[in-house]
Amino acid sequence: MARFVLTTKLLAAVSGALMLALVAPGASAADAMPGMAKATRQELGASAVFAPDGSLLVVTKQGEHVMLYRSSDDGKSWSAPTAVNAQPEQISADGENRPKVAFAADGGLLVSWTRPLGKPYSGAIRLARADDGQRFSPPLTVHKDPAEITHRFESLLTTPDNKVILAWIDKRDLEAAKSGKKAYRGAAIYAAVSTDGGRSFQPEHKLADHSCECCRVTSAIDADGAPLFMWRHVFEPNERDHALARLKPDGTVESVQRATFDRWKVDGCPHHGPSLAVDERGVRHAVWFNQKDGAGRGFYGRLAAGSGISVEGQRQVGGPRAAHADMAVAPGKLAIAWKEFDGERTQLRGLMSADGGDSFSEIALAATDGASDQARVVRRQDQLFVFWRTEKEGFRLFPLP
Amino acid sequence: MMRRFLPVVLLVAAGSLAAAEFTPLDRAEAQRLLSADKHRQPTVVTLWSSDCGYCKANLKLLSSLTRNNRKLRVITVAAEPENAHLWPMLSRYGLAGPHYAYGSDSPEAIAYAIDPNWGGELPRTFLFDGTGRKERISGVLTAPAIEKATGLRF
Repeated sequence: MARFVLTTKLLAAVSGALMLALVAPGASAADAMPGMAKATRQELGASAVFAPDGSLLVVTKQGEHVMLYRSSDDGKSWSAPTAVNAQPEQISADGENRPKVAFAADGGLLVSWTRPLGKPYSGAIRLARADDGQRFSPPLTVHKDPAEITHRFESLLTTPDNKVILAWIDKRDLEAAKSGKKAYRGAAIYAAVSTDGGRSFQPEHKLADHSCECCRVTSAIDADGAPLFMWRHVFEPNERDHALARLKPDGTVESVQRATFDRWKVDGCPHHGPSLAVDERGVRHAVWFNQKDGAGRGFYGRLAAGSGISVEGQRQVGGPRAAHADMAVAPGKLAIAWKEFDGERTQLRGLMSADGGDSFSEIALAATDGASDQARVVRRQDQLFVFWRTEKEGFRLFPLP
Repeated sequence: MMRRFLPVVLLVAAGSLAAAEFTPLDRAEAQRLLSADKHRQPTVVTLWSSDCGYCKANLKLLSSLTRNNRKLRVITVAAEPENAHLWPMLSRYGLAGPHYAYGSDSPEAIAYAIDPNWGGELPRTFLFDGTGRKERISGVLTAPAIEKATGLRF
Protein backbone atom coordinates (compact mmCIF):
# COMPACT_ATOMS: atom_id res chain seq x y z
CA MET A 1 0.00 0.00 0.00
CA ALA A 2 2.78 2.41 0.97
CA ARG A 3 4.48 1.68 -2.31
CA PHE A 4 1.29 2.41 -4.17
CA VAL A 5 0.79 5.71 -2.38
CA LEU A 6 4.27 6.79 -3.41
CA THR A 7 3.62 5.75 -6.96
CA THR A 8 0.40 7.68 -7.34
CA LYS A 9 1.97 10.71 -5.68
CA LEU A 10 4.84 10.48 -8.10
CA LEU A 11 2.45 10.08 -11.00
CA ALA A 12 0.45 13.07 -9.82
CA ALA A 13 3.62 15.14 -9.58
CA VAL A 14 4.85 14.04 -13.00
CA SER A 15 1.51 14.59 -14.68
CA GLY A 16 1.22 17.95 -12.92
CA ALA A 17 4.61 18.96 -14.27
CA LEU A 18 3.67 17.76 -17.74
CA MET A 19 0.41 19.69 -17.61
CA LEU A 20 2.34 22.81 -16.61
CA ALA A 21 4.79 22.27 -19.44
CA LEU A 22 1.90 21.87 -21.86
CA VAL A 23 -0.19 24.72 -20.60
CA ALA A 24 2.40 27.33 -19.60
CA PRO A 25 3.19 28.68 -23.08
CA GLY A 26 -0.51 29.42 -23.65
CA ALA A 27 -0.35 29.90 -27.39
CA SER A 28 1.58 26.75 -28.13
CA ALA A 29 -0.72 24.64 -25.93
CA ALA A 30 -3.68 26.10 -27.74
CA ASP A 31 -2.07 25.41 -31.09
CA ALA A 32 -1.51 21.76 -30.29
CA MET A 33 -3.36 19.26 -32.47
CA PRO A 34 -6.89 19.00 -31.16
CA GLY A 35 -7.53 15.83 -29.25
CA MET A 36 -3.92 14.72 -28.82
CA ALA A 37 -3.47 12.47 -25.81
CA LYS A 38 -2.27 14.35 -22.76
CA ALA A 39 -0.57 13.13 -19.63
CA THR A 40 -3.83 13.35 -17.67
CA ARG A 41 -7.27 12.34 -18.82
CA GLN A 42 -8.60 15.13 -20.93
CA GLU A 43 -12.22 16.19 -21.00
CA LEU A 44 -13.08 15.39 -24.61
CA GLY A 45 -16.54 17.00 -24.83
CA ALA A 46 -16.84 18.87 -28.14
CA SER A 47 -19.60 20.19 -30.40
CA ALA A 48 -19.55 20.92 -34.11
CA VAL A 49 -21.54 22.99 -36.59
CA PHE A 50 -21.10 23.94 -40.23
CA ALA A 51 -20.77 27.66 -40.92
CA PRO A 52 -22.78 29.27 -43.73
CA ASP A 53 -19.56 29.24 -45.84
CA GLY A 54 -19.35 25.44 -45.47
CA SER A 55 -16.42 25.33 -43.06
CA LEU A 56 -16.70 23.15 -39.96
CA LEU A 57 -16.50 24.80 -36.55
CA VAL A 58 -15.71 22.85 -33.40
CA VAL A 59 -15.77 24.05 -29.81
CA THR A 60 -14.10 22.25 -26.95
CA LYS A 61 -12.18 22.98 -23.79
CA GLN A 62 -8.49 23.71 -23.26
CA GLY A 63 -7.82 24.34 -19.59
CA GLU A 64 -9.97 27.30 -18.60
CA HIS A 65 -10.83 28.37 -22.13
CA VAL A 66 -13.43 27.29 -24.64
CA MET A 67 -11.50 27.05 -27.89
CA LEU A 68 -12.96 27.38 -31.37
CA TYR A 69 -11.38 25.37 -34.20
CA ARG A 70 -12.13 25.77 -37.89
CA SER A 71 -11.64 23.40 -40.81
CA SER A 72 -12.19 24.43 -44.42
CA ASP A 73 -11.45 20.97 -45.83
CA ASP A 74 -13.95 18.76 -43.98
CA GLY A 75 -11.69 17.99 -41.05
CA LYS A 76 -8.44 17.21 -42.85
CA SER A 77 -6.71 20.27 -41.40
CA TRP A 78 -7.58 22.70 -38.64
CA SER A 79 -6.90 26.36 -38.07
CA ALA A 80 -5.08 27.63 -34.99
CA PRO A 81 -7.86 27.88 -32.43
CA THR A 82 -9.46 31.05 -31.11
CA ALA A 83 -10.18 31.49 -27.40
CA VAL A 84 -13.90 32.15 -26.94
CA ASN A 85 -13.52 33.48 -23.38
CA ALA A 86 -10.57 35.84 -23.00
CA GLN A 87 -10.73 35.62 -19.20
CA PRO A 88 -10.07 32.10 -17.89
CA GLU A 89 -12.87 30.29 -16.06
CA GLN A 90 -13.91 26.73 -15.23
CA ILE A 91 -15.63 24.89 -18.07
CA SER A 92 -17.56 21.61 -18.16
CA ALA A 93 -16.67 19.37 -21.08
CA ASP A 94 -17.30 15.82 -19.93
CA GLY A 95 -19.73 13.26 -21.35
CA GLU A 96 -23.18 14.82 -21.02
CA ASN A 97 -22.02 18.39 -20.58
CA ARG A 98 -19.99 20.20 -23.22
CA PRO A 99 -19.67 23.58 -24.94
CA LYS A 100 -22.27 24.10 -27.69
CA VAL A 101 -21.99 26.11 -30.91
CA ALA A 102 -24.69 27.57 -33.17
CA PHE A 103 -25.39 30.47 -35.52
CA ALA A 104 -28.03 33.08 -34.73
CA ALA A 105 -30.32 34.01 -37.60
CA ASP A 106 -28.46 37.33 -38.00
CA GLY A 107 -25.21 35.43 -38.61
CA GLY A 108 -23.71 35.91 -35.13
CA LEU A 109 -21.72 32.94 -33.89
CA LEU A 110 -22.83 31.69 -30.47
CA VAL A 111 -20.98 29.48 -28.02
CA SER A 112 -22.53 28.34 -24.75
CA TRP A 113 -21.14 26.31 -21.89
CA THR A 114 -21.62 25.43 -18.23
CA ARG A 115 -19.20 27.08 -15.83
CA PRO A 116 -18.84 24.97 -12.67
CA LEU A 117 -18.81 27.10 -9.52
CA GLY A 118 -17.24 26.19 -6.19
CA LYS A 119 -19.83 23.83 -4.75
CA PRO A 120 -20.39 20.30 -6.05
CA TYR A 121 -23.02 20.09 -8.85
CA SER A 122 -23.11 23.88 -9.17
CA GLY A 123 -22.83 25.80 -12.41
CA ALA A 124 -23.78 28.88 -14.39
CA ILE A 125 -24.92 28.89 -18.03
CA ARG A 126 -22.62 31.09 -20.10
CA LEU A 127 -22.96 32.43 -23.61
CA ALA A 128 -20.53 34.35 -25.81
CA ARG A 129 -21.30 35.88 -29.19
CA ALA A 130 -19.05 36.86 -32.08
CA ASP A 131 -20.80 39.23 -34.50
CA ASP A 132 -18.16 38.54 -37.14
CA GLY A 133 -17.72 34.85 -36.28
CA GLN A 134 -14.20 35.57 -34.98
CA ARG A 135 -14.01 38.01 -32.09
CA PHE A 136 -16.17 37.13 -29.11
CA SER A 137 -17.80 39.54 -26.72
CA PRO A 138 -17.18 38.74 -23.03
CA PRO A 139 -19.47 35.85 -22.01
CA LEU A 140 -22.66 36.62 -20.14
CA THR A 141 -24.57 34.44 -17.68
CA VAL A 142 -27.96 33.83 -19.26
CA HIS A 143 -29.91 33.48 -16.00
CA LYS A 144 -30.59 36.07 -13.30
CA ASP A 145 -30.43 33.53 -10.47
CA PRO A 146 -26.98 34.03 -8.89
CA ALA A 147 -27.23 31.09 -6.45
CA GLU A 148 -24.30 28.67 -6.35
CA ILE A 149 -26.49 25.70 -7.29
CA THR A 150 -27.10 23.55 -10.36
CA HIS A 151 -27.70 25.44 -13.61
CA ARG A 152 -26.08 22.95 -15.95
CA PHE A 153 -26.48 20.75 -19.09
CA GLU A 154 -27.73 23.60 -21.29
CA SER A 155 -29.21 23.10 -24.72
CA LEU A 156 -28.76 25.95 -27.22
CA LEU A 157 -31.44 26.62 -29.86
CA THR A 158 -31.60 29.40 -32.42
CA THR A 159 -34.74 30.27 -34.39
CA PRO A 160 -35.24 31.91 -37.80
CA ASP A 161 -36.62 35.09 -36.15
CA ASN A 162 -33.26 35.64 -34.40
CA LYS A 163 -34.32 34.29 -31.03
CA VAL A 164 -31.81 32.36 -28.97
CA ILE A 165 -33.26 30.01 -26.38
CA LEU A 166 -31.26 28.10 -23.80
CA ALA A 167 -32.84 25.50 -21.54
CA TRP A 168 -31.00 23.78 -18.72
CA ILE A 169 -31.28 21.63 -15.62
CA ASP A 170 -31.87 23.86 -12.61
CA LYS A 171 -32.07 22.89 -8.94
CA ARG A 172 -33.50 26.09 -7.38
CA ASP A 173 -36.83 24.37 -6.67
CA LEU A 174 -35.09 21.35 -5.20
CA GLU A 175 -33.00 23.63 -2.96
CA ALA A 176 -36.13 25.53 -1.86
CA ALA A 177 -37.88 22.26 -1.08
CA LYS A 178 -34.86 21.07 0.91
CA SER A 179 -34.83 24.28 2.96
CA GLY A 180 -38.51 23.75 3.70
CA LYS A 181 -37.79 20.08 4.53
CA LYS A 182 -40.06 18.97 1.71
CA ALA A 183 -39.51 16.22 -0.82
CA TYR A 184 -38.89 17.18 -4.45
CA ARG A 185 -38.47 14.71 -7.29
CA GLY A 186 -35.42 15.31 -9.46
CA ALA A 187 -34.57 18.82 -10.69
CA ALA A 188 -36.32 21.35 -12.96
CA ILE A 189 -35.89 22.68 -16.48
CA TYR A 190 -35.58 26.45 -16.89
CA ALA A 191 -35.22 28.45 -20.09
CA ALA A 192 -34.04 31.94 -21.02
CA VAL A 193 -34.95 33.70 -24.26
CA SER A 194 -33.02 36.32 -26.20
CA THR A 195 -34.78 38.29 -28.94
CA ASP A 196 -31.61 40.04 -30.13
CA GLY A 197 -29.51 37.14 -31.31
CA GLY A 198 -27.99 36.34 -27.93
CA ARG A 199 -26.79 39.83 -26.93
CA SER A 200 -29.15 39.94 -23.95
CA PHE A 201 -31.61 37.60 -22.24
CA GLN A 202 -35.00 38.03 -20.64
CA PRO A 203 -35.40 36.67 -17.10
CA GLU A 204 -35.54 32.88 -17.15
CA HIS A 205 -38.70 30.89 -16.54
CA LYS A 206 -39.50 27.33 -15.64
CA LEU A 207 -40.47 24.82 -18.32
CA ALA A 208 -41.15 21.91 -15.98
CA ASP A 209 -40.57 20.46 -12.53
CA HIS A 210 -39.07 16.99 -12.00
CA SER A 211 -36.45 16.55 -14.69
CA CYS A 212 -33.69 13.99 -14.27
CA GLU A 213 -30.56 15.53 -12.75
CA CYS A 214 -27.64 14.98 -15.10
CA CYS A 215 -28.63 13.89 -18.60
CA ARG A 216 -28.09 16.18 -21.58
CA VAL A 217 -31.08 18.20 -22.84
CA THR A 218 -31.89 18.32 -26.58
CA SER A 219 -33.82 20.76 -28.76
CA ALA A 220 -35.29 21.19 -32.24
CA ILE A 221 -37.76 23.36 -34.12
CA ASP A 222 -41.23 21.89 -34.67
CA ALA A 223 -43.06 21.78 -38.02
CA ASP A 224 -44.73 25.17 -37.42
CA GLY A 225 -41.60 26.84 -36.02
CA ALA A 226 -42.33 26.26 -32.32
CA PRO A 227 -39.24 25.59 -30.20
CA LEU A 228 -39.06 22.07 -28.74
CA PHE A 229 -36.95 20.87 -25.83
CA MET A 230 -36.69 17.25 -24.75
CA TRP A 231 -35.08 15.82 -21.63
CA ARG A 232 -35.06 12.82 -19.36
CA HIS A 233 -37.81 13.30 -16.80
CA VAL A 234 -38.71 11.65 -13.50
CA PHE A 235 -42.33 10.59 -13.75
CA GLU A 236 -44.01 9.39 -10.57
CA PRO A 237 -42.79 7.61 -8.61
CA ASN A 238 -39.34 7.23 -10.21
CA GLU A 239 -39.81 6.40 -13.90
CA ARG A 240 -36.99 8.00 -15.85
CA ASP A 241 -38.68 8.38 -19.21
CA HIS A 242 -38.56 11.53 -21.36
CA ALA A 243 -40.64 14.70 -21.61
CA LEU A 244 -41.10 17.03 -24.58
CA ALA A 245 -41.90 20.72 -24.12
CA ARG A 246 -43.39 22.82 -26.91
CA LEU A 247 -42.88 26.55 -26.43
CA LYS A 248 -44.98 29.49 -27.59
CA PRO A 249 -43.33 32.13 -29.77
CA ASP A 250 -42.43 34.16 -26.67
CA GLY A 251 -40.65 31.15 -25.18
CA THR A 252 -43.22 30.33 -22.49
CA VAL A 253 -44.55 26.80 -22.22
CA GLU A 254 -47.36 25.68 -24.49
CA SER A 255 -47.32 22.04 -23.41
CA VAL A 256 -45.15 19.47 -21.64
CA GLN A 257 -45.92 15.88 -22.62
CA ARG A 258 -44.51 12.50 -21.81
CA ALA A 259 -42.55 11.39 -24.87
CA THR A 260 -41.33 7.86 -24.05
CA PHE A 261 -42.98 5.00 -22.23
CA ASP A 262 -40.29 2.49 -21.31
CA ARG A 263 -40.87 2.87 -17.55
CA TRP A 264 -37.31 2.62 -16.31
CA LYS A 265 -37.72 2.80 -12.56
CA VAL A 266 -34.48 3.76 -10.88
CA ASP A 267 -33.34 6.10 -8.13
CA GLY A 268 -30.15 6.78 -9.96
CA CYS A 269 -28.41 8.77 -12.69
CA PRO A 270 -28.54 7.27 -16.19
CA HIS A 271 -26.02 9.84 -17.56
CA HIS A 272 -27.68 9.30 -20.92
CA GLY A 273 -29.70 12.07 -22.54
CA PRO A 274 -31.83 12.05 -25.72
CA SER A 275 -31.52 13.61 -29.18
CA LEU A 276 -34.39 15.08 -31.23
CA ALA A 277 -34.81 16.13 -34.86
CA VAL A 278 -37.81 17.30 -36.93
CA ASP A 279 -37.76 16.47 -40.62
CA GLU A 280 -38.99 18.57 -43.54
CA ARG A 281 -42.40 16.89 -43.37
CA GLY A 282 -42.74 17.90 -39.75
CA VAL A 283 -42.19 14.42 -38.30
CA ARG A 284 -40.41 14.36 -34.94
CA HIS A 285 -37.68 11.72 -34.65
CA ALA A 286 -35.88 10.92 -31.41
CA VAL A 287 -33.20 8.64 -30.04
CA TRP A 288 -32.84 7.89 -26.37
CA PHE A 289 -31.52 5.35 -23.89
CA ASN A 290 -33.65 3.47 -21.42
CA GLN A 291 -33.74 0.29 -19.50
CA LYS A 292 -36.68 -1.70 -20.79
CA ASP A 293 -37.59 -5.15 -19.53
CA GLY A 294 -34.40 -5.12 -17.46
CA ALA A 295 -31.95 -4.37 -20.27
CA GLY A 296 -30.37 -0.99 -21.07
CA ARG A 297 -30.83 -0.16 -24.76
CA GLY A 298 -30.64 2.67 -27.25
CA PHE A 299 -33.94 3.37 -28.98
CA TYR A 300 -35.23 5.25 -32.00
CA GLY A 301 -38.85 6.33 -32.39
CA ARG A 302 -41.12 8.95 -33.94
CA LEU A 303 -42.97 11.14 -31.45
CA ALA A 304 -46.43 11.53 -33.01
CA ALA A 305 -48.17 14.70 -31.88
CA GLY A 306 -51.65 14.67 -30.38
CA SER A 307 -53.36 15.15 -27.06
CA GLY A 308 -50.69 12.80 -25.80
CA ILE A 309 -47.54 11.80 -27.66
CA SER A 310 -47.49 8.28 -29.01
CA VAL A 311 -44.21 6.66 -30.04
CA GLU A 312 -44.29 5.14 -33.52
CA GLY A 313 -41.80 2.75 -35.04
CA GLN A 314 -39.79 2.29 -31.83
CA ARG A 315 -36.77 0.11 -32.53
CA GLN A 316 -33.48 -0.69 -30.93
CA VAL A 317 -30.39 1.26 -31.99
CA GLY A 318 -27.30 -0.92 -32.26
CA GLY A 319 -26.33 -3.75 -29.95
CA PRO A 320 -26.53 -4.21 -26.20
CA ARG A 321 -23.73 -1.72 -25.53
CA ALA A 322 -24.86 1.02 -27.93
CA ALA A 323 -24.44 4.31 -26.10
CA HIS A 324 -25.02 8.03 -26.45
CA ALA A 325 -26.75 8.06 -29.82
CA ASP A 326 -27.20 11.34 -31.64
CA MET A 327 -29.31 12.11 -34.70
CA ALA A 328 -29.96 14.69 -37.40
CA VAL A 329 -32.07 15.02 -40.52
CA ALA A 330 -31.51 16.47 -43.98
CA PRO A 331 -34.02 16.55 -46.85
CA GLY A 332 -34.97 12.94 -47.59
CA LYS A 333 -32.69 11.39 -45.01
CA LEU A 334 -32.23 10.68 -41.36
CA ALA A 335 -29.02 9.56 -39.64
CA ILE A 336 -28.24 8.19 -36.20
CA ALA A 337 -24.71 7.73 -34.86
CA TRP A 338 -23.59 6.07 -31.66
CA LYS A 339 -20.65 4.34 -30.08
CA GLU A 340 -20.49 0.80 -28.92
CA PHE A 341 -17.69 -1.00 -27.08
CA ASP A 342 -17.07 -4.42 -28.61
CA GLY A 343 -14.92 -5.87 -25.80
CA GLU A 344 -11.69 -4.51 -27.24
CA ARG A 345 -12.38 -1.22 -28.98
CA THR A 346 -15.02 1.46 -29.17
CA GLN A 347 -16.85 1.27 -32.47
CA LEU A 348 -18.55 4.25 -34.10
CA ARG A 349 -21.62 3.12 -36.03
CA GLY A 350 -24.44 4.74 -37.94
CA LEU A 351 -28.01 4.05 -39.04
CA MET A 352 -29.30 5.71 -42.21
CA SER A 353 -32.91 5.95 -43.32
CA ALA A 354 -34.23 7.31 -46.61
CA ASP A 355 -37.88 6.59 -45.85
CA GLY A 356 -38.55 8.70 -42.77
CA GLY A 357 -37.42 6.09 -40.27
CA ASP A 358 -39.43 3.10 -41.52
CA SER A 359 -36.30 1.19 -42.49
CA PHE A 360 -32.61 1.70 -41.80
CA SER A 361 -29.28 0.48 -43.07
CA GLU A 362 -26.42 0.19 -40.60
CA ILE A 363 -22.85 1.24 -41.34
CA ALA A 364 -19.54 0.94 -39.51
CA LEU A 365 -17.75 4.31 -39.43
CA ALA A 366 -14.63 4.02 -37.27
CA ALA A 367 -13.12 2.57 -34.11
CA THR A 368 -10.67 3.66 -31.46
CA ASP A 369 -8.60 1.97 -28.76
CA GLY A 370 -8.75 4.78 -26.23
CA ALA A 371 -11.21 7.19 -24.68
CA SER A 372 -13.67 8.95 -26.92
CA ASP A 373 -16.34 11.61 -26.84
CA GLN A 374 -19.96 11.07 -27.79
CA ALA A 375 -20.49 11.38 -31.57
CA ARG A 376 -22.58 14.12 -33.15
CA VAL A 377 -24.47 14.09 -36.46
CA VAL A 378 -24.08 17.44 -38.23
CA ARG A 379 -25.70 18.78 -41.37
CA ARG A 380 -24.38 20.88 -44.23
CA GLN A 381 -27.26 21.67 -46.58
CA ASP A 382 -28.37 18.31 -48.00
CA GLN A 383 -25.51 16.31 -46.56
CA LEU A 384 -25.06 14.66 -43.17
CA PHE A 385 -21.76 13.96 -41.41
CA VAL A 386 -20.70 12.35 -38.17
CA PHE A 387 -18.25 14.27 -36.03
CA TRP A 388 -16.28 12.28 -33.45
CA ARG A 389 -13.46 13.26 -31.15
CA THR A 390 -11.22 10.54 -29.79
CA GLU A 391 -8.30 10.80 -27.42
CA LYS A 392 -5.88 9.12 -29.82
CA GLU A 393 -7.04 10.38 -33.22
CA GLY A 394 -8.34 13.87 -32.41
CA PHE A 395 -11.20 15.44 -34.38
CA ARG A 396 -12.68 13.30 -37.14
CA LEU A 397 -15.44 13.92 -39.66
CA PHE A 398 -17.19 11.15 -41.59
CA PRO A 399 -19.43 12.02 -44.54
CA LEU A 400 -22.54 9.83 -44.66
CA PRO A 401 -23.89 8.38 -47.89
CA MET B 1 -2.17 16.73 26.01
CA MET B 2 -0.36 15.20 23.05
CA ARG B 3 -2.86 12.38 22.96
CA ARG B 4 -5.70 14.84 22.62
CA PHE B 5 -4.15 16.44 19.60
CA LEU B 6 -3.05 13.29 17.89
CA PRO B 7 -6.29 12.63 16.00
CA VAL B 8 -6.22 16.18 14.66
CA VAL B 9 -2.67 15.70 13.44
CA LEU B 10 -3.69 12.45 11.76
CA LEU B 11 -6.67 14.11 10.11
CA VAL B 12 -4.48 16.87 8.73
CA ALA B 13 -2.01 14.30 7.44
CA ALA B 14 -4.84 12.32 5.81
CA GLY B 15 -6.08 15.52 4.16
CA SER B 16 -2.70 16.27 2.65
CA LEU B 17 -2.51 12.75 1.23
CA ALA B 18 -5.97 13.07 -0.30
CA ALA B 19 -4.63 13.05 -3.84
CA ALA B 20 -3.26 9.54 -3.31
CA GLU B 21 -6.26 7.87 -1.71
CA PHE B 22 -7.49 6.18 -4.88
CA THR B 23 -6.05 3.19 -6.68
CA PRO B 24 -6.33 3.72 -10.44
CA LEU B 25 -8.57 1.07 -11.96
CA ASP B 26 -7.79 -0.53 -15.30
CA ARG B 27 -9.66 -3.28 -17.16
CA ALA B 28 -7.62 -6.16 -15.71
CA GLU B 29 -8.01 -4.97 -12.13
CA ALA B 30 -11.72 -4.30 -12.74
CA GLN B 31 -12.23 -7.86 -13.90
CA ARG B 32 -10.48 -9.22 -10.80
CA LEU B 33 -12.46 -6.92 -8.54
CA LEU B 34 -15.78 -8.09 -9.93
CA SER B 35 -15.02 -11.83 -9.93
CA ALA B 36 -17.20 -13.63 -7.42
CA ASP B 37 -14.48 -16.23 -6.72
CA LYS B 38 -12.10 -13.48 -5.56
CA HIS B 39 -14.36 -12.51 -2.67
CA ARG B 40 -14.07 -14.88 0.31
CA GLN B 41 -16.09 -12.65 2.63
CA PRO B 42 -19.34 -10.70 2.16
CA THR B 43 -18.33 -7.75 0.01
CA VAL B 44 -20.04 -4.83 -1.67
CA VAL B 45 -18.38 -3.13 -4.62
CA THR B 46 -20.15 0.18 -5.02
CA LEU B 47 -19.75 2.46 -8.05
CA TRP B 48 -20.30 6.17 -7.57
CA SER B 49 -19.34 9.53 -9.05
CA SER B 50 -19.03 13.12 -7.90
CA ASP B 51 -22.08 13.97 -10.03
CA CYS B 52 -24.41 11.37 -8.52
CA GLY B 53 -26.49 12.43 -5.52
CA TYR B 54 -28.11 9.00 -5.12
CA CYS B 55 -24.66 7.48 -4.73
CA LYS B 56 -24.16 9.47 -1.53
CA ALA B 57 -27.26 7.82 -0.05
CA ASN B 58 -25.72 4.42 -0.75
CA LEU B 59 -22.33 5.37 0.69
CA LYS B 60 -24.06 6.63 3.83
CA LEU B 61 -26.07 3.44 4.23
CA LEU B 62 -23.05 1.20 3.61
CA SER B 63 -21.04 3.22 6.09
CA SER B 64 -23.64 2.67 8.81
CA LEU B 65 -23.94 -1.04 7.96
CA THR B 66 -20.20 -1.60 8.27
CA ARG B 67 -20.41 -0.16 11.77
CA ASN B 68 -23.22 -2.59 12.61
CA ASN B 69 -21.48 -5.62 11.19
CA ARG B 70 -17.73 -5.67 10.77
CA LYS B 71 -17.90 -8.68 8.48
CA LEU B 72 -19.11 -6.47 5.64
CA ARG B 73 -16.35 -5.27 3.36
CA VAL B 74 -17.08 -2.23 1.17
CA ILE B 75 -14.97 -1.41 -1.88
CA THR B 76 -15.69 1.88 -3.61
CA VAL B 77 -15.12 2.67 -7.29
CA ALA B 78 -15.40 6.25 -8.55
CA ALA B 79 -16.51 5.93 -12.18
CA GLU B 80 -14.40 8.91 -13.18
CA PRO B 81 -10.69 9.74 -13.08
CA GLU B 82 -9.34 10.94 -9.76
CA ASN B 83 -9.97 14.64 -9.20
CA ALA B 84 -10.08 17.14 -6.37
CA HIS B 85 -13.80 16.59 -5.66
CA LEU B 86 -13.61 12.88 -4.94
CA TRP B 87 -11.82 12.47 -1.63
CA PRO B 88 -13.64 15.26 0.26
CA MET B 89 -16.91 13.64 -0.83
CA LEU B 90 -15.93 10.08 0.05
CA SER B 91 -13.86 10.56 3.18
CA ARG B 92 -16.82 11.74 5.28
CA TYR B 93 -18.30 8.22 5.19
CA GLY B 94 -15.28 6.72 6.95
CA LEU B 95 -15.24 3.61 4.76
CA ALA B 96 -12.03 1.63 5.09
CA GLY B 97 -11.76 0.85 1.40
CA PRO B 98 -9.95 0.00 -0.75
CA HIS B 99 -11.02 2.95 -2.88
CA TYR B 100 -10.63 2.94 -6.63
CA ALA B 101 -11.06 5.59 -9.32
CA TYR B 102 -10.96 5.12 -13.09
CA GLY B 103 -7.37 5.09 -14.28
CA SER B 104 -5.89 6.00 -17.65
CA ASP B 105 -7.36 2.95 -19.41
CA SER B 106 -10.27 3.60 -21.81
CA PRO B 107 -13.35 4.31 -19.63
CA GLU B 108 -15.46 2.08 -21.85
CA ALA B 109 -13.01 -0.79 -21.46
CA ILE B 110 -13.10 -0.40 -17.68
CA ALA B 111 -16.92 -0.28 -17.69
CA TYR B 112 -17.05 -3.40 -19.86
CA ALA B 113 -14.69 -5.26 -17.53
CA ILE B 114 -16.82 -4.24 -14.56
CA ASP B 115 -20.03 -5.47 -16.21
CA PRO B 116 -20.75 -5.83 -19.93
CA ASN B 117 -24.46 -5.35 -19.21
CA TRP B 118 -24.05 -2.08 -17.35
CA GLY B 119 -25.36 0.98 -19.22
CA GLY B 120 -23.38 3.49 -17.15
CA GLU B 121 -26.16 4.38 -14.71
CA LEU B 122 -25.14 5.22 -11.15
CA PRO B 123 -25.21 4.14 -8.45
CA ARG B 124 -24.40 0.61 -9.60
CA THR B 125 -23.58 -1.91 -6.89
CA PHE B 126 -22.25 -5.47 -6.95
CA LEU B 127 -22.90 -7.60 -3.89
CA PHE B 128 -20.96 -10.78 -3.09
CA ASP B 129 -21.92 -13.24 -0.35
CA GLY B 130 -18.36 -14.57 -0.15
CA THR B 131 -19.26 -18.06 -1.39
CA GLY B 132 -19.44 -17.32 -5.10
CA ARG B 133 -22.80 -15.58 -5.40
CA LYS B 134 -22.99 -12.13 -7.01
CA GLU B 135 -25.88 -9.71 -7.36
CA ARG B 136 -26.16 -6.43 -9.28
CA ILE B 137 -28.35 -3.53 -8.23
CA SER B 138 -28.79 -0.18 -9.98
CA GLY B 139 -30.05 2.72 -7.90
CA VAL B 140 -30.50 3.34 -4.21
CA LEU B 141 -29.88 0.34 -1.92
CA THR B 142 -31.88 -0.77 1.06
CA ALA B 143 -30.59 -2.63 4.10
CA PRO B 144 -32.85 -5.65 3.45
CA ALA B 145 -31.55 -5.92 -0.14
CA ILE B 146 -27.98 -5.88 1.14
CA GLU B 147 -28.82 -8.47 3.81
CA LYS B 148 -30.36 -10.72 1.19
CA ALA B 149 -27.44 -10.45 -1.21
CA THR B 150 -24.62 -10.73 1.32
CA GLY B 151 -26.20 -13.13 3.81
CA LEU B 152 -25.28 -10.77 6.65
CA ARG B 153 -27.57 -9.30 9.29
CA PHE B 154 -27.30 -5.68 10.35
